[in-house]
Amino acid sequence: MRMAIQGIGLCGGFGQGIEALRTALQAGRVEPQEVCIEHQGGPEHFPAYRAVVDQLTEFIPKRALRRIDHFSKMTLLGACLALKDADLLEADRSRTGVVIATGYGALKTTFDFLDSYLDFGYSCSSPTHFSNSVHNAAAAHVSMQFKATAPSLTVTQFEMSVASALLSAQQWLAEGRVDQVLFGAIDEYSEVLHYCRQQFFAEGEQGPVQPLDFTIQSAVVGEGASFLVLTRADQTAAYACIDKVRLGNHQVRPLELVPDERLIIGADGHKECGRWYASLLKDHPVTAYAAVYGSFPAAVGFDLAVAALMLRDRKLYLDSEGDHSSPPVDLSPAEKLSCLKFGPGGDYGLIQLST
Amino acid sequence: MSVKEKLKRVLIEDLNLEDVEPDEITDDMALFGEGLGLDSLDAVELVVIVQKHFGVEIKDMEEGRPALQTISTLAKFIEDRLA
Amino acid sequence: MGRILPIAITGLGCLSGAGMNLRESLENLFLNQRNPRPPQRFSTDHPVSYPVLELRDEFELPLDQQETVYARTSQLALAAALEALHDAGWEAKDLRGKRVGVCLGTTVGCALNCDDFYRAYKEGKNPGMAVIERFLRSNPATVIARQLELDGPTQIVVNACSSGTDAIGIGASWLRAGACDIVIAGGADELARVTYAGFSSLMITDTEPCKPFDVNRKGLNLGEGAGLLVLEHKDVCQNKRVRGYVLGYGSACDAYHLTAPRPDGAGLKQAMNEAFATSGVKAEQISFVNAHGTGTPDNDRVESRVLHEILPGVPFVSTKGYTGHTLGAAGGIEAVFTLACLQRGELPANIGFSDPDPELPTTPVTENTRIEGDLALSESLAFGGNNAVLILAKGEI
Repeated sequence: MRMAIQGIGLCGGFGQGIEALRTALQAGRVEPQEVCIEHQGGPEHFPAYRAVVDQLTEFIPKRALRRIDHFSKMTLLGACLALKDADLLEADRSRTGVVIATGYGALKTTFDFLDSYLDFGYSCSSPTHFSNSVHNAAAAHVSMQFKATAPSLTVTQFEMSVASALLSAQQWLAEGRVDQVLFGAIDEYSEVLHYCRQQFFAEGEQGPVQPLDFTIQSAVVGEGASFLVLTRADQTAAYACIDKVRLGNHQVRPLELVPDERLIIGADGHKECGRWYASLLKDHPVTAYAAVYGSFPAAVGFDLAVAALMLRDRKLYLDSEGDHSSPPVDLSPAEKLSCLKFGPGGDYGLIQLST
Repeated sequence: MSVKEKLKRVLIEDLNLEDVEPDEITDDMALFGEGLGLDSLDAVELVVIVQKHFGVEIKDMEEGRPALQTISTLAKFIEDRLA
Repeated sequence: MGRILPIAITGLGCLSGAGMNLRESLENLFLNQRNPRPPQRFSTDHPVSYPVLELRDEFELPLDQQETVYARTSQLALAAALEALHDAGWEAKDLRGKRVGVCLGTTVGCALNCDDFYRAYKEGKNPGMAVIERFLRSNPATVIARQLELDGPTQIVVNACSSGTDAIGIGASWLRAGACDIVIAGGADELARVTYAGFSSLMITDTEPCKPFDVNRKGLNLGEGAGLLVLEHKDVCQNKRVRGYVLGYGSACDAYHLTAPRPDGAGLKQAMNEAFATSGVKAEQISFVNAHGTGTPDNDRVESRVLHEILPGVPFVSTKGYTGHTLGAAGGIEAVFTLACLQRGELPANIGFSDPDPELPTTPVTENTRIEGDLALSESLAFGGNNAVLILAKGEI
């Protein structure tokens, strides 16, 4: 069953809101921020695409945010902006489902909870940190904030999180369990994540990200939240429609792409995942936007937002590898776009969109 | 600093009540519901706060409930245990 | 919403503190035996110990270096998957060429809470990546798909304690939509120091064996395990032995509080009503309910009131006295028990219950109880206000 995208809400390294994304796409590349960690041996500087969430207080009073961590703040901001974009901020949400996709969950709070007992003993384990570290806490905050009493679902499947969660959101709409889905993809940067990436990739973490060079490690860590308001496609789409969601494993049964299928690939400078794109893609027209929001599992949600925006604008915004001296190429109304993401083991998620 | 003053300060800090001044929390203001507006999750966090900052254990909510009414009742509970 | 197509259940597999497989679990359930004890696999400096239900024995998987390859949650999931597929008569080689999805619930299985690693990191000891690599390899749905070389969607549902129930409802919807031919669905969770510390900090763990629905209930006992079902589209499993069906599924969010259930149970009622609507089943047709029944004061109060209102007089049982609260696995294990009890025509006693609570309008079954009928309901409540309900049927319909 087709789904229609009615609103988009975003926060990421490029800024807050759909306009910030459009501006970033026109430029093709966003400079990551410089993050500094103090170590005993001196400070360490490295690039990261971090999300700012200061617009959230326009929607939610500060007091209501006192127990809400950065992961849930990004989630809430994405949700607020998407509802605003769809003009649903004041609507009845008893038939609005909430679906959240995340690769790692609330990393910072996960470690904050461990800190509470490692620092002060098990009797001082913090129940607030514990309950916010549970993966569905962000979805719960969204449901509570918007009085969304329909089903709520949080999915975590590393790189496949977004495609997998979308498959289930689609069934809710198809079976009439909900009339709208507030669909969000979120991941969070943390110092521990940086440490792990440093161990795995060493200098490869310094960027600049070159997503279409599948032979080198060039990923730069990112974070953010990308939200879509989805309905059944019997309503006219404000952006575009999601025609099909498919997941599988390329190693078990090779994925067959339509020749000439225009693709936004989730290649983000990870060599291990890059080899799958290298083996599959032939003459397909391909773009990749990791130089706009960085590398994290749920970034597929941003690829989806980019696809939806391009289909609405009927313009192909070039990626960081493209020639930005000339204006964006026009897309015909019949144009289709697919988002393709590979995990390191050959598992793939393919999401096909059209107007 | 008295137990009451310290309680107010750590309450604001550890429960992230950044819009509240210590003076605004009166000794006999209800901590939960109407009053300071705390809830059941804050209640268990308060148990940790009392353990962490005063070294006083609240074993379970049967013991905790009467103590966790106001700053006065909680301060008295702590002082009795420390005595 | 309207009726949905029933989805066949062709295989069951489970392991938990109640037993190492379904047969052994049922033996212990109907002998009313349970084995809570202090955790054996980790320790903490809590002033008191909270009993838990760990697996009674070691278990073996057809894997090399089982201990180091995958995290325990994934090992549990794989063990239950192999049992369920065997029960369904599927050999791994016969699954090739089919679209086989895996939809599982967990909590610990997808949380990066490697506390030994993190302690070393905090102390500036530059810990190695072995434990992180294992975490990245151990998504339980991917592990099953990888070990069995499956091609199809994979999904880990992390709806806290309703994850397993939701995963079964969602897996069934994939089959109705034609996204796959077979789905392995349920839940898995290992007992971990992190959840032990977390639930203790919320002051909802009992220092004694748990007492679901009893007046003296003080909280839950944590457990571990996995419970998985093989689900198939009716068109795929023609001429096969069918154990039963997923007839209905409902899910709703309280949108009330992060950790406390909504006192009026509105979300649970809504989930139940959706399960009734999707199955076309009426409340009076339900033979019994496998309740969430964690043994916490709040959960059991809400649940008892809702059961009294929606399903008055229908026998119900919490099996958490036998298994402990297995979190993301609970909905999977309890769905397996629900169908197995329907087939057996008997419910085990709600172990731990002896004295009714005057505040609660209903009481669970206090002894092994014969039941009639083909339909039962299994329900889960969770952190974040999630409620999920399945209606299962035995045999041919």
